[in-house]
Amino acid sequence: MEKKEITEILKNALNSGADFAELFWEQKETVGINCEENRIERINSGLDEGIGIRVIAGEKTSYAYTNDLSIDRLLEVAEIAGKGAQKNQDLRGLKDFATPPSPLKIEIKKPPQEVKIEDKVQVVLAANETARRVDQRIRQVTVNYGDVRQKVTIANSDGVYVEDLRTRTRLSVHAVASEGNLVQTGFHSVGGSKGFELLEEEDPTQIAETAAKKAILMLTAQPAPSGKMPVVLAGKAGGTMVHEACGHGLEADLVQKGLSLYADKRGQEVASPLITVVDDGLISGKFGTTSYDDEGTPYSKKVLINKGVLKNYMYDLITAKRDKVKSTGNGRRESYKDRPIPRMRNTYIASGKTDPEKIIKETKEGLLVTSMGGGQVNTLNGDYVFDVAEAYVLKEGKVLYPVRGATLTGNGPETLRLVDLVGKDIGFTIGVCGKEGQGVPVSDAQPTMAVRELIVGGTGEESTPQGKKIRRL
Amino acid sequence: MESVAPKVLALAQKKGAETAEVFLLKSRELTIEVMGQEVENLKLSEEQGFGLRVISHNRLGYAYSSDLSERAIQQTVERAIDNSRLVAEDSNWNVAEPGNSYPELDLYDQETIRKPLAEKIILAKELEKAAFASDSRIRQVEKAVYQDSSYQTALFNTRGLARNYQGTYCGLYGIAIGQEGTDAETGFSMSYALKYQDLNPFKVGQEAGEKAVRMLGAKSMPSAKIPVVFDPHVMTGVLDVLQRAFSGEAVLKGTSFLAGKEGQKVASPLVNIVDHGFLAEQVASAPFDSEGMPTAETRLINRGELQGFLHNLYTARKTGAHSTGNAVRGSYKSTPEVGTTNFYLEKGSVSPAQLLGDVKKGLYVTEVMGLHTANPISGDFSLGAAGLLIENGKLTTPVKGIAIAGNLQELLLGIEAIADDLTFYVGLGSPTVRIQGLMISGK
Repeated sequence: MEKKEITEILKNALNSGADFAELFWEQKETVGINCEENRIERINSGLDEGIGIRVIAGEKTSYAYTNDLSIDRLLEVAEIAGKGAQKNQDLRGLKDFATPPSPLKIEIKKPPQEVKIEDKVQVVLAANETARRVDQRIRQVTVNYGDVRQKVTIANSDGVYVEDLRTRTRLSVHAVASEGNLVQTGFHSVGGSKGFELLEEEDPTQIAETAAKKAILMLTAQPAPSGKMPVVLAGKAGGTMVHEACGHGLEADLVQKGLSLYADKRGQEVASPLITVVDDGLISGKFGTTSYDDEGTPYSKKVLINKGVLKNYMYDLITAKRDKVKSTGNGRRESYKDRPIPRMRNTYIASGKTDPEKIIKETKEGLLVTSMGGGQVNTLNGDYVFDVAEAYVLKEGKVLYPVRGATLTGNGPETLRLVDLVGKDIGFTIGVCGKEGQGVPVSDAQPTMAVRELIVGGTGEESTPQGKKIRRL
Repeated sequence: MESVAPKVLALAQKKGAETAEVFLLKSRELTIEVMGQEVENLKLSEEQGFGLRVISHNRLGYAYSSDLSERAIQQTVERAIDNSRLVAEDSNWNVAEPGNSYPELDLYDQETIRKPLAEKIILAKELEKAAFASDSRIRQVEKAVYQDSSYQTALFNTRGLARNYQGTYCGLYGIAIGQEGTDAETGFSMSYALKYQDLNPFKVGQEAGEKAVRMLGAKSMPSAKIPVVFDPHVMTGVLDVLQRAFSGEAVLKGTSFLAGKEGQKVASPLVNIVDHGFLAEQVASAPFDSEGMPTAETRLINRGELQGFLHNLYTARKTGAHSTGNAVRGSYKSTPEVGTTNFYLEKGSVSPAQLLGDVKKGLYVTEVMGLHTANPISGDFSLGAAGLLIENGKLTTPVKGIAIAGNLQELLLGIEAIADDLTFYVGLGSPTVRIQGLMISGK
């Protein structure tokens, strides 16, 4: 499709009277490989192409998508979308197209579609074999490989025209170990805005070993203690907590709807002065990194909370206009089927000054969390429950023994006020965030942190079947 | 759209596939979100695509495309065949034979298609109004949504199967926020139906409002081991986790705690669990599953005794069972896995009020957090929960900030009363259920 045709479609969308019209054209190729039961069970290749048309008139948004890409159908769909949002005011014209520059050029060294499927299968099989070799008690190993090549063209009536190519690769390993009646699992994954080179930089067998060792370790773990206690969140546990229990509350749509504890708190102290929270779309190669967001706004780095003081929210075009600010480049969507909403990219708590070892040494009694599992969070009040995939009991500054089945119950903003020490390290984990049913790739991170107290619940059993799964209320 | 299928099958055979199967899906959907009596979001969608399975030398390959052009068909066929070469050999792969008889269903509602947009918008507005009207403490209605969908599904394979059906469904859901002082609580309600005329925005709006308000002032409670009552929505959440254990695939993979327990008592004698693929008036009903096998009524637990498992063609052949018509695909992008259709706990004979009436001190649970993290293998769970205290048979003060720990197997055995208010939430159904002493940890 040419710019001329795109212009015609946008004109049709504006025809019934509107403030804004936008076209999002996506062509996506995916490959997924699944290894289970010690063999390649599934390989799935897919082609998905479609166009989403968004029309905004005042506070009204109308969205239509189709994967019938004939120009006649598209003109028709644009007209339907336009009628859905129509307002009886003078028409806004279409500005001439221009492409805003992005500070980030992503270079994919080994585009996955140029890598033979045999080579991808090799990596998966190697990970499977390595995990199984770790210990005789490893009973089941699941390895999943996926790559995506997503080409998007974004054009809107304000004159933005952006073409962007996104490539992502990921690998995850899930191991099940058992001894007697006891069954324990371990999970580890890597992913990035990279091509197949990701799996040259990150050794797949290492990932497999980490997952398998976690499962084996948990076999010897004791039931987790329960009650209120100090908790040290290790850097390598990643930033699930900051993403879920704090990050979502800083998304402008939730803030504007009054659905966030952080609403109307700009300039106020909302966390310990040791806490700086950043959302950065530009970190090279991370899972949440691209050059532009899904509205054609160049990605950027935004400090959300600076030394405990709330500085900024995350905006897409609509919410930015409402607050009379510029979009922060957080308008993201899962596919052409979805309207963009404010979303996180790579979100982290910035490193502090304390040696992580020292943080552990200074803890008299409590829980050291080294791997997080799934959980659930209420974004309205920040309450959360997280499963802990790997943790240790701490006493007099010493790491005593591993425990399983722990859950952390708390409140996001409150937890960030209770942080006493922040380490100089940082650890990233990847995930697919699922706000409003739309999954987008993100990464999150945090340094090692000492939290004065959290409620630890224990069932005596590990309960994280498939790595990180988060549900939101 | 269907004309594509024979073309794809012919090409797959020409390129060397012994057996091939095409699944086609075409759907249209409308979603209307109202806020402040104005349409805030309107969404129209149309989607089509096909998924191709090829079997050659006992190896299965899969590929899909939303693009039905010659070029895309060519590429998809080639990829499916390429993929099949690298997948492990397995003689259990097969496709449906033609010649089965299929249940007749009334899944298509003309009214859903014909009703003008303006009228559907009014439904969402009425829902919002009803939520506000339910109580003066409703501060906001976060969601007031109308949704409908129409779809066509077709299944063709090289054994000669060629079938299709079409259907529609519609629904409403609302989320209300109640506020008193600084305390804010949310309440949720939804209702999906096959027929447009069955939608009731007043009921949905009011229920969302009432659920939000009744939780205001909720506090934690001291730890206790007391009887727990799950409302139908919470119990369908439990069933959603439980259904995985009934999957023939989970049995094969050793991830079902029910494996090998056929004929054994796995639940209280009050418990009957059924998967029913052609249940009248249910949104998840269909004449055939996503491999083209007829849907069925499968009794999984009868009076507490495990009867069997759910199967698609693959797990059936591998375990020496019959397909129960439970091949399920999320879309044309996914392979047919074992899944449920209308999966429900049969109703009991007492009213919800009677069920509560016998309880001196207990907890009525209306919301749980973290159910999906329950361990499907061991059945262990630890949930964040909220609800209302039951004192002398009556619901009294709201409770939150508590955790309920337990085990799904023990929960099934511990069911001591089942009410007669079976309610469906899109494919999952349950009445109100009372369970003997569960461990509640609070302050």
